[in-house]
Amino acid sequence: MAQDSTRLSEYVSRRKFIAAASAAGVATVAGCSSGGDNGGDGGDEATTAGDTGNDQETTAGEQSNEMDTSVLTGDGSSTVFPITNTAASYWNSNPEAGDGDYWPTEWADEYGTDMRLADYFAEQYGYEPTGERSSPPFRVSIALSHSGTGIEGVMEGRVDIGDASASAAAELPDADKSTLDDFVNHVVGVDGQPIVVSREIADAGVESITIEELRQIYRQEITNWSEVGGPDREILALGRAEGSGTDTSFRANVFGDPEAPISPDQRFGQNQQLQQAINQADNAIAYIALAFVEPDGGTPPLDLVIDGTTYSYGDNLGAAEYPLSRDLHAYTWQNTSRKEAAFINFVLSDFGQEVFVQGNDYFALPDDRLETQREKVAASNYE
Amino acid sequence: MTQLLGRTRELPTRLRSLVARRAEATRQWAHDYRSRTADGAIAMHALVFGSVLASFLLFLAGSALTVFPVLVFLAAMGVGWYRHQAEAAKALTFLTTVATVGVLTLIVAFLLLESLPAVRAMGLDLFTAVRNPTMENPELGQGLWGRNGFWSLTPMMVGTAVTTVIATLIAAPVGIAGAVFVSEIAPRRVREVVKPGIELMAGIPSITYGFIGLTILNQYFYAEFRTPTIGTYFAAGLMIGIMALPTVVTVAEDALNAVPESIKSGALAMGSTPWQTTKSVTIPAGMSGVSAGVLLGVGRAMGETMAATVMLTHTKGFPSPVFDVFSNYGETLTTVIAFEGGNASGLQMSALFAGGVVLFGMVMVLSVGSQYVEWRMHQKLGGER
Repeated sequence: MAQDSTRLSEYVSRRKFIAAASAAGVATVAGCSSGGDNGGDGGDEATTAGDTGNDQETTAGEQSNEMDTSVLTGDGSSTVFPITNTAASYWNSNPEAGDGDYWPTEWADEYGTDMRLADYFAEQYGYEPTGERSSPPFRVSIALSHSGTGIEGVMEGRVDIGDASASAAAELPDADKSTLDDFVNHVVGVDGQPIVVSREIADAGVESITIEELRQIYRQEITNWSEVGGPDREILALGRAEGSGTDTSFRANVFGDPEAPISPDQRFGQNQQLQQAINQADNAIAYIALAFVEPDGGTPPLDLVIDGTTYSYGDNLGAAEYPLSRDLHAYTWQNTSRKEAAFINFVLSDFGQEVFVQGNDYFALPDDRLETQREKVAASNYE
Repeated sequence: MTQLLGRTRELPTRLRSLVARRAEATRQWAHDYRSRTADGAIAMHALVFGSVLASFLLFLAGSALTVFPVLVFLAAMGVGWYRHQAEAAKALTFLTTVATVGVLTLIVAFLLLESLPAVRAMGLDLFTAVRNPTMENPELGQGLWGRNGFWSLTPMMVGTAVTTVIATLIAAPVGIAGAVFVSEIAPRRVREVVKPGIELMAGIPSITYGFIGLTILNQYFYAEFRTPTIGTYFAAGLMIGIMALPTVVTVAEDALNAVPESIKSGALAMGSTPWQTTKSVTIPAGMSGVSAGVLLGVGRAMGETMAATVMLTHTKGFPSPVFDVFSNYGETLTTVIAFEGGNASGLQMSALFAGGVVLFGMVMVLSVGSQYVEWRMHQKLGGER
């Protein structure tokens, strides 16, 4: 009997889904304004999305017309994507306090609440809690592309949040000051950008290089490992695609100019491909995102010596003065709306920094910077 | 001379009569259409064409009202299909043809329009520069893509040329030999198995070839021959050549098959061996078709993107000498678009579109050329299958 009733409810929800989907289809044709995909988690999620839509409409109608409960969209850098996307999936699932996997009791106790995750953080901004799983006060959808795409998207109003692993100024070298002033910069985490080499090079005794040697390698002035204390073997200098956030910030941090000409031997579209190539090669050097370092695996890190100070992985790499560290941005355009602020504050919370930023192997913001960032999106600004 | 002068003087008169004749024909056609078509069908035609035009214009304007003309179109088409099926089918097939040609026109127009800023900023340098004039000490082929705001497609054009030549050197001889064997030498049973097998090769997605190239070919050349980078023009050209093979074999085999049996029988009757017939009669007769196949293969190789993108190194410059296919440079017109299209902006984006125009032009010349050659063959051999 119980089985039958479940099946029936499944059937009903599928019908609802079809109705919701076809309604969405018509809306898309009518307005040519699809809000981007929802990450494509399949039918189940879409079903709940359809249901939520109805609930939200009624809530919004009863409450006040000011509350914007449409989907919050984001797009941009593949480096920032893990942070904002993990945050979005936690937010959308809206787990109850005490859910061991997503919103454990210890964290809920620390915040002194027994509300659901998204309910708790959205309520501070005046949103009505829904009290239902997978039904947050508003949904968040983050897409994956490149820093430049995210910056342009937020500028043109295609998305609400633009993820970028380099600053807007570096991504838009032609933009004038008034355009850049319209970007509101929210830093959500810090990446260390370590220098890694192939296993064979590390095993042959190369442990550190100076930043000047690094510059010369990427200008093709040093082409053999013997010049930096390694075996007699050519250097294979690897890099990321021109215009990618990682490439732009590497140029800005190492050469002091985001437009500086560098000539690596080979470029890759994504960190994953780069990691594979370093694994394949026995003479490679590369700059990569922190999450892709394997100290005992195929991509061992090198110590970097700058002005007599040695920065090493797992020690002081990523410290504030480490020149290759870079901020991970979530830009908004012309002020930050209540909806955007609620989500960014969620990422900046202690919970968000530990789970979304450190959980993805990036560095959490130091306390003083965290304070500054939180003030920008504080709930008190929206009362 | 005087004759020519006389003809020139006649020109306005002839033009006038031509226009008059066309106008008369149009009037006749309109009259026929009105008298031969039911009033309901005429109304349906008007409604269908009007609503399609309206929805297209509203769509371009980004209006939310687009849905209404679309609904009108669907309704008119539905009712029309029910009442006047022949006329409805006529309108529908006409519309789909217009849509196909329209999409092509829009794409070409968009490509040209988008590439205009780059052409305006760079002029001919976009396609011909070999040194960057904005640099202090310009080296041959260095800094041609984006240094000091200077964009030139020449390194990518060289890259495309190099990979295409390598691919052709592999695909043409192997492909033609394969076609001769399948068409002339192989016993029937072998042909029946081999021909569909080769055609199946063309159906393998290009990323599959690219993945094999990336993990096996690139790694092999790097590990065994110590190429300076993992991935060279040679490895990519080799893979693209293999990908172009089925096109060459299929078209060339069709061409050899199209040589009329009577010609071959004639040669055999004169006492020549089968190989002599193939060598001196069949291949020369089918030559134009075979070269059409090679041209199509070259076009495929030139436009190949996925495999080249994953295999090449994406660094730009001229190999020195230019036939150094193992240099560390590796970027073609297709790969630069695939690789940088995602995060390009401004002039870079426009230059990428210009690369698309160059590619489109070259591939169009090749495919028109191959069609011309095929047409010539049909003329010569009387079009007999």
